[in-house]
Amino acid sequence: MIDPARKTILWVIATLALAMLPQLASMPPALLLVALLPLAWRVGAEIYHWKPLPALVRHGATAGGLAILYISYGDLAGRRAAVSLLSIMLALKMVECYRTRDARLVVSFSLFLCATQFLFTQGIFMPVYGGLTVILALVTLAQLQRSEAWSHAGPAPAVRASILSELGFSTRLVALAIPIGIAFFILFPRLSSPLWGIPDTTLDSKSGLSDSMSPGSIQNLFMDDSPAFRVQFSGNVPESSQLYWRGPVFWRFDGRTWKSSFYGRNIEAPEVPEVTADSWKYTVQLEPNERNWLFALDYPASKPDDTRLTMDFQMIRDQPVIQLTEYEVVSNPDFSDSPELAGSLLPQALELPEGSNPRTEQMVFEWRRQTPDDEMFIRRVLQHFNQEPFHYSLNAPYLGQHSVDDFMFDTRTGFCEHYASSFAVMMRMAGIPSRIVTGYQGGWFSTLGDYLLVRQSDAHAWTEVWLNGKGWTRVDPTAAVSPERVEQGSLGALNAPRHVLDYGWLRGMRNSVDIVQQRWNDWVIEYGAGRQSRLFEPLGLDHLGPAGLVAILFVVMLVFGAMVFPIVMRIKGPSSSDPVQKYWRKFLRRLLQAGYEARPSDGPIEVARSASKLLPASTQPIHRIAHLYSRSRYAATPPPFIELKQAVLAFRPNKKSA
Amino acid sequence: MNSTVISTQESTGDRHGRLLEARAAVNAILLGKDKQVSLAFCCLLARGHLLIEDVPGVGKTTLAHALARVIGSDYQRIQFTSDLLPADILGVSIYKREKDEFEFHPGPIFSQVILADEVNRATPKTQSALLEGMAEGQVTIENETHALPSPFFVMATQNPLDLVGTYPLPDSQLDRFLLSFSLGYPDPAAERELLITEDRAHLLDRTRSLLSPDDVKALQADCEKIHVSENLLDYIQALLQETRDDRWFETGLSPRAGLALLRASRALAFLDDRDFVTPEDVKTVFTGLGRHRLSPTSGFSQSPEEQIQELLGEVPIP
Repeated sequence: MIDPARKTILWVIATLALAMLPQLASMPPALLLVALLPLAWRVGAEIYHWKPLPALVRHGATAGGLAILYISYGDLAGRRAAVSLLSIMLALKMVECYRTRDARLVVSFSLFLCATQFLFTQGIFMPVYGGLTVILALVTLAQLQRSEAWSHAGPAPAVRASILSELGFSTRLVALAIPIGIAFFILFPRLSSPLWGIPDTTLDSKSGLSDSMSPGSIQNLFMDDSPAFRVQFSGNVPESSQLYWRGPVFWRFDGRTWKSSFYGRNIEAPEVPEVTADSWKYTVQLEPNERNWLFALDYPASKPDDTRLTMDFQMIRDQPVIQLTEYEVVSNPDFSDSPELAGSLLPQALELPEGSNPRTEQMVFEWRRQTPDDEMFIRRVLQHFNQEPFHYSLNAPYLGQHSVDDFMFDTRTGFCEHYASSFAVMMRMAGIPSRIVTGYQGGWFSTLGDYLLVRQSDAHAWTEVWLNGKGWTRVDPTAAVSPERVEQGSLGALNAPRHVLDYGWLRGMRNSVDIVQQRWNDWVIEYGAGRQSRLFEPLGLDHLGPAGLVAILFVVMLVFGAMVFPIVMRIKGPSSSDPVQKYWRKFLRRLLQAGYEARPSDGPIEVARSASKLLPASTQPIHRIAHLYSRSRYAATPPPFIELKQAVLAFRPNKKSA
Repeated sequence: MNSTVISTQESTGDRHGRLLEARAAVNAILLGKDKQVSLAFCCLLARGHLLIEDVPGVGKTTLAHALARVIGSDYQRIQFTSDLLPADILGVSIYKREKDEFEFHPGPIFSQVILADEVNRATPKTQSALLEGMAEGQVTIENETHALPSPFFVMATQNPLDLVGTYPLPDSQLDRFLLSFSLGYPDPAAERELLITEDRAHLLDRTRSLLSPDDVKALQADCEKIHVSENLLDYIQALLQETRDDRWFETGLSPRAGLALLRASRALAFLDDRDFVTPEDVKTVFTGLGRHRLSPTSGFSQSPEEQIQELLGEVPIP
């Protein structure tokens, strides 16, 4: 059994563990051991009364932990490494934590560790988790305060407040801090760029479209329900079949994999579409994906800063998107891209690897002879997809070196990238310039939040062919096989669930709940210098500058402090669990509200005597409660508790009738 | 055997009723001094002795007399003077020729209730003769020990104004008095009644005894059964501890004073017809118990009572 006074150390361990938990998830396994072993040892030491470890072992463990950390991360400079260093040092501290002072230190640093989480994720659940950690830490600190020194010290205090009341106390403290936090959040001067933006791209790779496409790459994304971005339209909203979110564009094909071209990435668009009345205006909130592409509908007429618009209308940012990014775009759907194709681009749009996919080449050659017209030929190929037994399915079989041959003649089952790729190859074989566009198609429209949610599972690939006079024209071969893909979205097109937990209602619920995340992003994460000054615009305070904001903050804090001070004074530490005491305190609080303040040195009957002078109308109930309490607390045979409880609950001091 | 138990139980209520009657009777004689009268009874029930400090003529003697009357004991008044000798209190042995031996003639101390008037006028030697009796319940005369009657209750008075030619009681002697108080002047209503109603002396003569010495002993035993909760024991300890802090008093209360505090609190609760002690009991008794034992460190700028009230205001009630 554990001595009750020693339980405090278990609280310390619990606090540290809770603060460390989010870090553990991303730690290398070897480090995980370093972080958890000391905690496990300490718990064991408390239960089985093990002796403290000798200094040599402790120092050795520390050196070993540092070595493992260095080996795991290569250096100690990055965010991850630094936070891991803090975690394992705190864990190792538990091995030699035998004094209250040390325990306080661990708890305080646990709070710091908890705050470091915001360097990695700023999701909506982090503040909640952080709040829980803070509450636990406060309870632990209270416990430490109660039993100074748990291991070598004297007896535990006679009256221990119940954990519940201490929890309540800590929660009240945190609740009181929330308005202060909000005031700081709103008023603290914001920097236009973050203080630390050093990308740590080696870890935590996010899923998203990549800079190449091979069979199966989009299919993997399809399994991922995490949001890719959210869009808010102002004005016209496009039809579902027009929601082609343009991302990476690929020109080069090696028989299996599509890659972007040097030109495509580096040459800027020669001509930018005009903004017309029919253009779509919208704001995109892009989740971090650690890639450089920004997504827009065809064809972006304006671009955000720090972004290039390439000649194939990819929007490429200089810096990868490592945090939630918001940008505004205008798209003009009626623009025609390159009615004249530059001569240098033609070979690239027709290039095919030598001798690949011979069977398809044979077939295309045959068809092309029969239908020389480009548009007729395109229709013929689409008809082929539509009428032959092609399937739109997740379970696409593996394709070999001649991927298009395998797909066209043998498997005939595939996902959007299979269709787009085969189609583009066939076009090139027929001499029609073509390229692959990847991005997202569709999205889920939240009527509640009035925004469009695009998930990773909406990832899509389609084809663009160049027609003389019309320019680059979008052709979506997947739509020929499965029109539902475009009309109902990627998930609507599949009959089978993707995995065991994939139910329609669950997806629906997730979609509906996304609004919370969207609002969080909108109001909290994206709250920067710009929003801050916009917020103060109606008050005419938008030109305040940092000093002015701090001044307002100061005033707000003073006002808040003045308002809250009486409440704080009334919060009297965690109470002991005695219900008689609890109701007596409740009674004293009610007297206080009525204007009578009892001194702690007054006995119950004295309180009653002087309180009834102030509240003559309530003399009788006051005396009754005081006598009940006095008897409950001091007599050998207390009266039934319920009498006191009811008397206190029924007590409503009324000053006016006095 | 059984019947005795029942009769004792029956008489407990009776006794208590008579006790309250006795108190009411004293209150009727000494007008407007309910609190002091209660304290006096409390002192009696707690087997203690009482010190009354006040100017002449406010009723010290009347109180003592009335108390003696209602508890039906034999009562002696000893007026202390500077030439009073121990033998005047204790008694002497006189040689009887016919019997050819010394015969002991007991002094006034062999009474159940004694009023030692102006106790600070006698020499320390005489004072200590009385005080030994108070402490031990017996006196030793010429190597012979004589037990004092029981109950044995001493009320001593001191005149604080007239300090010339007095021998103030030393602290060690003061500790033998359980409680002390001053009577003070009566309030206007009480004084008016005093003026228009009959002479107190007549009233005293007509007052009959309501309690027998055996009743008093039984009542004293009853008091000891009063319940004192753990948290009040904590409170009493906290109070004692606080008096030992330099910032209040020269010296703190002794453990004997602590025991006395407990006994007197029980007696006060008993007088209030309760079977448990409340913090208010302790606080009431504490002032009476401390005022003659404690001298404030602040010198004469504050009276002991004021200092005690301030101390009570700082110790929270558990």
